[in-house]
Amino acid sequence: METKIVELIASPREPHFVGDGFRVHNFIPSGYRMDMRRMNPFIMLDYNSKFVFPATNTPKGVGVHPHRGFETVTIAYKGRVQHHDSSGGGGIIGEGDVQWMTAASGVLHKEYHEREWSKTGGEFQMVQLWVNLPKKDKMSTPKYQAIKYDEIPRVKLEDGESHVEVIAGEYEGVKGAAFTFTPVHMLNARLKNKGKASFNFPAHYNTVILVVEGSVFVNGTEVVPTDHMVLMANEGEVFEVEASEDSLVLILSGEPIDEPIASHGPFVMNTQEELVEAFNDFNHGKFGTLAD
Amino acid sequence: MECPNFIRFFTSNLDVQESDVSDLLNQCERLTIKKNYVLLNQGEFSKHTFFVEKGLLRQFALNENGKEHILSFAPENWLVTDRDSAYFNQPSIYSIQALEDSLVVLIDQSFIDKLTQLVPGFTAYNNRLLHNHIRHLQDRIGLLLSATAEERYLNFVQMYPDVLMRVPQTMVASYLGITPESLSRVRKEIAHKKSE
Repeated sequence: METKIVELIASPREPHFVGDGFRVHNFIPSGYRMDMRRMNPFIMLDYNSKFVFPATNTPKGVGVHPHRGFETVTIAYKGRVQHHDSSGGGGIIGEGDVQWMTAASGVLHKEYHEREWSKTGGEFQMVQLWVNLPKKDKMSTPKYQAIKYDEIPRVKLEDGESHVEVIAGEYEGVKGAAFTFTPVHMLNARLKNKGKASFNFPAHYNTVILVVEGSVFVNGTEVVPTDHMVLMANEGEVFEVEASEDSLVLILSGEPIDEPIASHGPFVMNTQEELVEAFNDFNHGKFGTLAD
Repeated sequence: MECPNFIRFFTSNLDVQESDVSDLLNQCERLTIKKNYVLLNQGEFSKHTFFVEKGLLRQFALNENGKEHILSFAPENWLVTDRDSAYFNQPSIYSIQALEDSLVVLIDQSFIDKLTQLVPGFTAYNNRLLHNHIRHLQDRIGLLLSATAEERYLNFVQMYPDVLMRVPQTMVASYLGITPESLSRVRKEIAHKKSE
């Protein structure tokens, strides 16, 4: 086994608002060397770093919009989000919960800060991710996985205090809570100061580390502060993350889907023709209905 | 990641507040990269200009025989870009690589536009930088066409006093367009003259 080395460490850029409820730093696909092809199957990653939303009676969020050809995954670190989609999926996720929506052939959805949470406001922190689907599943039936924090399997680490939560894929033989269409590992490592976790993924898997809380060393030498993202090289398999204070890091590693990508706005397909079809279907109401 | 050099680069040359540069810096990508990492490959497209906050980059091309030619070195506070790619939408003809662990700030057109809007004097300053760069290239063409190996070397020492200590001699020779053997001979001759 070779060491998987750090390719680069990216600072978060100035955030922008998605709707009025998500203040995000985009890393994928606009980051340097983090385009869809390089990062596939992770084709979009918006990170809402910790931000305080004031109390309001009108919940903030993003109104009705379509998706086709991939899955949207929301990992809640702080705050609460409510979601509805045209396939009947929906729910509320809070701290530690994950919402995994397979848009596939197409849904309309909307996502807002939960009404009750909005009334008090507070710290809000989330990751929103798009996971690509292989061609054979792009037009499959939409579905929705609501994953509660308590249902996410954990693996205790050597120090006895730190642990890894397996949202999807596998860690040390423990399988994740979410179903995935292609091999995807999605892990939250909650590390106490000096806590260590090592990871082992095939060299060609596209792999990133996002420091959500605290700061860590990767492979003993690379210092990574809060809100920074590490892109790992497509060489070597094994790497180690060690916390230099109490930390929380998100680790993503996935097998690239070796198929062409054609994307425009909320649609990610394989060809331009399929994109045109997606727009037509959307304009003809084939994504169902969802009230604002 | 703090970028004091980047902020000083603009505040010391322009009538602009540190906080304004700091705000603009936050809109730029900042990348920490390892020694040997290729930031831009020959043939790739990039709209960015790279500011070296920490470390050292080189801009180079490989010819058909696999021989390297170094166009420039970029230590701290230098800017480096492939203009074919950044300004003419052509594949880059040079690669840009880190020779040390580095921290780089990626500047794009929107940064230039915002700074232009914020600081009226920026356009004049940017023109001056551009003319200075052309002058440097002019000097470099002149040296490559007609100067002796010794003259080229002495010019290099003046231009990049610290780079000399940070890169292998073969790279210095490649930059100067002379063989490593010639470089070694020139260095000996200069040392000899000094000791006389």
